[in-house]
Amino acid sequence: MSQFDITKLPKGSKGFMHDWGSDQRAFKGVPWGKAMMWIFLLSDTFIFSCFLISLMTARASTVVPWPYPSEVFGLTVFGTSVPLLLIAIMTFVLITSSGTMAIAVKYGYEKNRKLCGWFLLATAIGGLTFVGMQAFEWSKLIFHDGVRPWGNPFGAEQFGAFFFMVTGFHGTHVSIGVIFLFIFARKVFRGDFDTGRRGYFTSMKSDYEAIEILGLYWHFVDLVWVFIFAFFYLW
Amino acid sequence: MNDEYTDNKIETKAADSSSGSYAPPAEKIPAQEAPDQELYHAKSFWTKWVFCQDAKVIGIQYALTATAIGMIGLILSWGMRLQLGFPETFSFLGPATYYQSVTMHGMIMVIYLLTALFLGGFGNYLIPLMVGARDMVFPYVNMVSYWMFLVAVLVLIASFFVPGGPTGAGWTLYPPQAILPGTPGSEMGIVLMLVSLSLFVIGFTMGGLNYVITILQSRTRGMTLMRMPLTIWGIFTATVLALLAFPALFVACIMMTLDNLLGTSFFMPEIFTMGEKLDYAGGSPILFQHLFWFFGHPEVYIVALPAFGIVSDLISVHARKNVFGYRMMVWAIVIIGALSFIVWAHHMYVSGMNPWFGFFFATTTLIIAVPTAIKVYNWVLTLWRGNIHLTIPMLFSLGFIVTFVNGGITGLFLGNVIIDVPLSDTYFVVAHFHMVMGIAPLMVVFGAIYHWYPLITGRHLNQTLGKIHFWVTFVGAYAIYFPMHYLGFIGVPRRYFEMYDSPYMTSGVGLNQFITVAALIVGFTQFLFLYNIFTSWYKGEKSERNPWKANSLEWHTPDYPPTHGNFGKELPVVYRWPYDFSVPGSDKEYIPQHVAPSEVPTAKAEQT
Amino acid sequence: MFVAIIFALIIVGSIIFHFWSPWWWTPVASNWGNIDDTIILTFWVTGAVFVAVCLFMAYCVWAYRYRPDRKAEYKPEDKKLEFRLTWLTALGVVALLAPGLVVWNKYITVPENALKIEVVAYQWGWNYRLPGDDGILGKTSVGLINDDNPYGLDSNDPNSKDDILVMDADLHLKINQPVKIELRSLDVLHNFYIPQFRAKMDTLPGIITYYWFTPEKKGEYEILCAEYCGTGHYAMRGFVKVDEEQEYSDWLAKQISFEKMLAKNKLEKNLLIAEKN
Ligand code: HEA
Ligand code: HEA
Ligand code: CUA
Ligand SMILES: [Cu+2]
Repeated sequence: MSQFDITKLPKGSKGFMHDWGSDQRAFKGVPWGKAMMWIFLLSDTFIFSCFLISLMTARASTVVPWPYPSEVFGLTVFGTSVPLLLIAIMTFVLITSSGTMAIAVKYGYEKNRKLCGWFLLATAIGGLTFVGMQAFEWSKLIFHDGVRPWGNPFGAEQFGAFFFMVTGFHGTHVSIGVIFLFIFARKVFRGDFDTGRRGYFTSMKSDYEAIEILGLYWHFVDLVWVFIFAFFYLW
Repeated sequence: MNDEYTDNKIETKAADSSSGSYAPPAEKIPAQEAPDQELYHAKSFWTKWVFCQDAKVIGIQYALTATAIGMIGLILSWGMRLQLGFPETFSFLGPATYYQSVTMHGMIMVIYLLTALFLGGFGNYLIPLMVGARDMVFPYVNMVSYWMFLVAVLVLIASFFVPGGPTGAGWTLYPPQAILPGTPGSEMGIVLMLVSLSLFVIGFTMGGLNYVITILQSRTRGMTLMRMPLTIWGIFTATVLALLAFPALFVACIMMTLDNLLGTSFFMPEIFTMGEKLDYAGGSPILFQHLFWFFGHPEVYIVALPAFGIVSDLISVHARKNVFGYRMMVWAIVIIGALSFIVWAHHMYVSGMNPWFGFFFATTTLIIAVPTAIKVYNWVLTLWRGNIHLTIPMLFSLGFIVTFVNGGITGLFLGNVIIDVPLSDTYFVVAHFHMVMGIAPLMVVFGAIYHWYPLITGRHLNQTLGKIHFWVTFVGAYAIYFPMHYLGFIGVPRRYFEMYDSPYMTSGVGLNQFITVAALIVGFTQFLFLYNIFTSWYKGEKSERNPWKANSLEWHTPDYPPTHGNFGKELPVVYRWPYDFSVPGSDKEYIPQHVAPSEVPTAKAEQT
Repeated sequence: MFVAIIFALIIVGSIIFHFWSPWWWTPVASNWGNIDDTIILTFWVTGAVFVAVCLFMAYCVWAYRYRPDRKAEYKPEDKKLEFRLTWLTALGVVALLAPGLVVWNKYITVPENALKIEVVAYQWGWNYRLPGDDGILGKTSVGLINDDNPYGLDSNDPNSKDDILVMDADLHLKINQPVKIELRSLDVLHNFYIPQFRAKMDTLPGIITYYWFTPEKKGEYEILCAEYCGTGHYAMRGFVKVDEEQEYSDWLAKQISFEKMLAKNKLEKNLLIAEKN
C-alpha cells in the first residue's frame, strides 16, 4: 500500500481549509486516540469552567466575607507561619511531573524502553506525592482548622464547599492519571509497545503513541491546577 | 492497495480554480491515509450479542433499551392525562404521584428516549456505514458506553422502588424545592435521579467521542465532509453539542448531590420552611438554573438536529430529488448548533435574573429562527418539482414539517421576551415543546425506522399497519397539542394537578377531556407499531437490496443486511454526494456515491 | 391527492379553530394591553408563514406526486432564492422583535409613583406587606422569623414599625394606581401570576424580585402560583381585589401595622401567662 505523506500538505490557513475540505481525516496524520483525547479534554474543560464560574458567582454574590487564602492556607514551620508554603511545593511537584512526562514521551518516540519507563514512573510518583500532600492539606483543614463543606470558621461557607469539591474533583483526575501512569509504565517495561502485545480489556495492539496521549491528559491536569491554584490561593 | 491510487500528491491547484472548495478532483481519489482498522471478532455468543463491540449491534441495543424506557414514559403520560381530563373519575393519582409522573415522564422522554435513540441508536448504526468505516474508532469504549447507559436506566427505574418514590421535582429539578421535603421523592428519589443522570453523561461521553472521531478521522476515501449525508451532519453536530453541554448538567448534578447529602449550600439560600429555619445559607438557586439551561437548551437541539438531518435524507430519497441547498443545510445545522449555546436564558425570562439579560437573549433566540427557517424552506423546496413517492417514511417527513413549523413558530412567541411573560409556565409552553420536540422528532424517528428497517432486518414493516400508525399518530397528536396552546392563553399553568373550579378554567374542561381521549388513542397506536416491529422481524415481506433506491453507502454493502466490518474486503471509494437523483443526461435514475464518473459518462452531475 | 387534501384540511382547520375557538385569553385588566398587541402581531406574521409553508407543501405533494414518466428536476441550489428567503425571514424577525423589546423595556422600567407592595410567598400561600405612611418597606431577614414575627421584620429599623401586614387574606389594590410588586419567598421558588394582569415573575428565597402594573379594571382576580413549588403547587391560590378609591381606604384602615401586631402578640402572650398562673 502506498503511504500517505503528510509532509506534502499545504500549510497555514490554506492547509487548514484543505484538510477539512478533504476526505478521510480532518486532522491529517493525527491518530484516532490523540484526536479523541483532545476532544475529551475540551469537554473536560467545560466541566472545570462550570465549576470555576460557579465559584466566581458564589464569591461575587456572597454577603459573608470570603476567607483570606494566606490565613487559611498558612503552614507553620519552626514557629513562623509561612503562607502558601505547602501549596507552593505541591504546585512545584506537579509542574515537575509535567516535565518528566514530556521526557517520557520523547523517549517513547525514540523507542527507548528503559528511560521511557523510568520517567513514567517518576511522573507517577510525582502525581502520588501531589495527591498525598493534598490529603495532608485536606486533613489539616478538616481536623485542625475545622473547615467543613457546610461551614468554616473563616467566613462564607461556600468557601469550604467549593474548595473540597473542586480540589477533590481535580485530585480524582490526578489519581486516575497516576493509575494509568503505573499501568503504562508496566506495559513499557514489559515491552508491550514493541511486541504489539494485546491489551487485556480491549485486545487491541497499541504503541508508544499511547504515552503521548496519556501525556496530553497529564499536562491538561497540570494546567487545570494552575487555574485552581489562582482561583483559590491567589484571589 | 491498487496501483491507480499510488499517486499521493493532492491536486490542490485544480480544486482551487473550480469553486474555491477543496474537493478532490472527481476521478482522482487520494491514497488511503492509514492502514485498515483492525476489528475485534467475537468468539462466543456473549461477545457477539451481549458484550458486543459491533456498532450496529450496540445501536440496536441502545434503541431497544430507549424504546423500553420510552414506553414507561408513555404510560406515565396516560396517568397524567387521565387525571387532567377526568379529575373526579380517576382519583388513584394523588398530587405527589402526579408530580412524580410528570417528572419522570419529562426526563425519560427527553434524555433516555430521544437523546439515546438518536445518538446512541441511529448514531451507532448509521455513522460507520454512512461514512464508510468498518466500525466506530474505539469499539470497546463504545460497548462500555452502552452498558453505562443501561446502568443509568436501571438506576432510574430503581428510583421507582425506593422509599418516597422517584423525584417529583419537575424534569428541570430546580432547587431549593428539589431537595426539600415539600416535594415528593426528596428522600432517595432525587439522589438516584442525579446519579442516573451523571452515569448517563459519563456513558454518553464515551459514545460521543466515538461518534465525533469516527466522523472526523475515519471516513473512507473520497468521503469529504461536504459529501456526507445530512443525517451524519445532524448527528455529528448534535454530538458535539452534547459533549459541550452535558458538562454543565454533570456539574449541576454533583453540586446538588452535595447540597442534598453533605449539607453544602451551593444552590441553597437561607430558608424558612415547615416552621423552622434550615441550616443552609448564601447559595444561589439561579446559578442552578443557569447551569441547567446551559445544558438544557443545547439539549433540545441535540434531539432536534439529528431529526433535521435524517428528515432531509428521507425527503430527498423519497422525492427522488437532491436536497435543495445542501451547503446551506450544512451551515444552518452548524450555525444553529453554535447559537444554541448563547440563548439558554430564554428559559429564565421570568426567573428573577437581571431583567436586562432579556434584551440580549430575546435577540439571540429570535436569530436562531433564521437558519431554522432556511432548513424549513429547503425541505419544501426539495419537494418542489420532485417525483414524490408517498411512502410511509415520506408521510412521516411531511408530518414532521407541519408539526415542526407549528412548534417552531410558537417558539418565536416564547422567545420574544415580553410575550413570554404571560405565557411562561403555562400550557402554551407545554404545547410548544410537545409539538416541536415530542411530536416532530418522533415523527422522524418513526419515518427513519420505516426507512432503515429493511436494512437492519432484510424485511419490510407491514405497510397497512404503518399507514394506520402514521395517520393516527399525526392527526391525533396534532389534535392533542394544537388546541393545548389555547389553554395557555386562558392562563392555565403547567404542572397543575387540578384546576378545581377556578373561575376562568371551567371553559377548558371539555377541551381537557378531548385531549385525554386523543392521547390515549395515539398512545395505543404505538403498541400497534411495536407489534409491527416484532412480528415483521421474522414474518415481514422480504426486502430486496436497496429497496428505496438510495445513494448513500449503507445500502451498498456487499452483504445485505450489512455484517461485522460493514464493507467486506475493501472499503468503498466515494466520488459524489449522496443526492444524485434524476441527474440530467444519465439514463440511471439515481447514482450511488461509490459510482465513479467514468461509469456514468453522460451524467451532467455537478461536482461536489 | 388524498394526502395533500388532508394536509390542507389540517391547516385550514387550524385557522378555523383559531378564529372560532371559544378558548381565548381573559380580557386584560391592567395596563399591559400592549402585550396582547404584540401577541396579535406575532400571530399575524407567524401565522401567515405557517399557512404559506404548509399549504405550499401540500401543493407540492399534490402537484408532484409520483408518476412513472415524471423526472424530478436536478437543482442543487439557487443562491438568489435562498438569499431572498433569508433576508425576508430576517425582516420578519425584526418585525417581531422590535416592538417586543420596546414593551419589555416598559415592563422593566418602574414608574416613580408606583406604590411598593411586598408579596411574601411560602409553601403554599401568599402574604402581603404594604408600606405605612412613610412609603418605605422596613428591612427583613429570614433569621428573624418566629411566631410573633412571621415576616422576619427587623424591629430596629424605624421604617418597619408602620408597615401594614396582610396575612391569610385577600390583597386589595386601588384602581389606576401603579404598583410595584416586590417578591420575596421564605422557602422555595414560586411565581406570582394573575392571568388578567398578564404580568408574572418568580419569587426566590434570598433575593427580591419585582414587576409592576397598573390595575385598570375593578373586580376580583385569582392569583395562581406559576412556578412548580412542591406538592401543594396547584393549590397555591389567592385573590386580588381591585377597588375604587373609597373602598380601598376603608379596607386599608382595617389592616394592622407591624407595631400593633407586636403589641397585640405581647398582650396575648401576657394574657396566656396570666391565665396559666
Ligand atoms: C426539540 C426541541 C425544541 C426546539 C427545536 C425548540 C425550538 C425553539 N424554542 Fe423551545 N422549548 C423546548 C424544546 C424545543 N424548542 C422545550 C423542551 C422547552 C421547555 C422546557 C421546560 O421548561 O420544561 C422549550 C421552551 C422554550 C422557551 C421557554 C418558555 C418558558 O418556559 O417560558 C422558549 C423561549 O424563548 C423557547 C423558544 C424556542 C425557539 C425560539 C425555538 C426555535 O428554535 C424555533 C425555530 C423554528 C421556527 C421559527 C420555525 C421555522 C421557521 C419558519 C417557517 C420561518 C418563519 C419565521 C419567521 C417569520 C421569523 N422554547
Ligand atoms: C420527547 C418528549 C416528550 C414526549 C414524546 C411526550 C409525550 C406526551 N406527553 Fe409530555 N412532556 C415532556 C416531553 C414529552 N412528552 C416534557 C419534557 C414535559 C415536562 C415535564 C415537566 O414539566 O417537568 C412533559 C409534560 C407533559 C404534560 C404536562 C404536565 C404538567 O405540566 O402538569 C402533559 C400533559 O398533558 C404531557 C402529556 C404528554 C402526552 C399525552 C404524550 C404522548 O402520549 C403523546 C402521544 C404519543 C406519541 C406522539 C408517541 C409516543 C411515542 C413514544 C413514547 C416512543 C415509542 C418509540 C418507539 C416505538 C421507537 N406531557
Ligand atoms: Cu408556589 Cu407553585
Ligand atoms: Cu430553549
